[in-house]
Amino acid sequence: MLIQLLTNKYPGMRLWLSQRLTALVMAFYFITLLVLLIIIQPSGFVGWHAFISPIWFRLATLVFFMCLFMHTWLGVADVLQDYVFNKTLRAYMQIVVDIALVAYLFWLTFILWNV
Amino acid sequence: MTNLVKFQIYRFNPDVDKKPYMQDYSIELAEEDNMLLDGLMRLKEQDDSLTMRKSCREGVCGSDSMNINGKNGLACITKIADLEQPIVLRPMPGLPVIRDLVVDMTQFFDAYNSVKPYLVNNDPLPETERLQSPEDRAKLDGMYECILCGACTTSCPSFWWNPDKFVGPAGLMQANRFIMDSRDQATEERLENLEDPYRLYRCHNIMNCVEVCPKKLNPNAAIANIKDLKIERAKTTKKERTIFGMKVV
Repeated sequence: MLIQLLTNKYPGMRLWLSQRLTALVMAFYFITLLVLLIIIQPSGFVGWHAFISPIWFRLATLVFFMCLFMHTWLGVADVLQDYVFNKTLRAYMQIVVDIALVAYLFWLTFILWNV
Repeated sequence: MTNLVKFQIYRFNPDVDKKPYMQDYSIELAEEDNMLLDGLMRLKEQDDSLTMRKSCREGVCGSDSMNINGKNGLACITKIADLEQPIVLRPMPGLPVIRDLVVDMTQFFDAYNSVKPYLVNNDPLPETERLQSPEDRAKLDGMYECILCGACTTSCPSFWWNPDKFVGPAGLMQANRFIMDSRDQATEERLENLEDPYRLYRCHNIMNCVEVCPKKLNPNAAIANIKDLKIERAKTTKKERTIFGMKVV
């Protein structure tokens, strides 16, 4: 089913379901992060550094932000489909958002791997 | 005791007016004039140029749906006593105005017709009728009661922006009504018919449709049911896939 989602056979459902799946991943990350913060209660530079440093945490955070960016992309695409009827203008506006999201992703990776 | 009621009504006659305007009315109503439609009929005695649709005057035909104090509803089942004054009446939003409170519902019915709102069954006709169990019949409750007044669809912003592409809550609820009908054999086609990103998925669940339905129906639940069924369908059906033009088995 996931492969069918990735192909273009269910264009409407693909976007709608992807938005929900990314939201689920973000919710899972957020709840886990909250629980970890309550249990570990990091404090000071050393505590926070130790909390963020493990590779699994950085990878999980990267996945969370990738889902967030995909969720954003889908949301913006939805809004543009609703309100911008000129397809060329819509494509340009989408490209601006795409560039911003890719830049954010690089920036985020740089931050995470320079901790 | 006087029963003076104030109205502010959208007026537009394309033969005479360059643009629409709001006209104020004050009218003395009789004791038996309880409903908004009664008030409008009294107004029409005073000004017969005021144009509206009406028929059954008891919430069955759906003709007199209009925007009442900012919310779509049926004039015939709306009590004047429940409304703030002046009562502001406008035609239903999102559709072209023909005259005053009368709108052109062609786009609404085009969307409705696009979901094939009739039973599709290719089996030979039985001698009497196509039977249905009481349980299967109960699945149609809350959908078959729709009177197609258009109040829900014309209060939906997704329909305002894309009336030619988005089916709208009324049409989608009828699609679900036939998908859920145990006698119908076109479920697959009906689900496929709603696959593109516009026809079904422009619904963002803002629930205006539920808020305004004069029959207290829930088009949003019907839309959610179609989305669920489409996921079930994607799980169970194996569709031919292509990647870079090549078939994937």
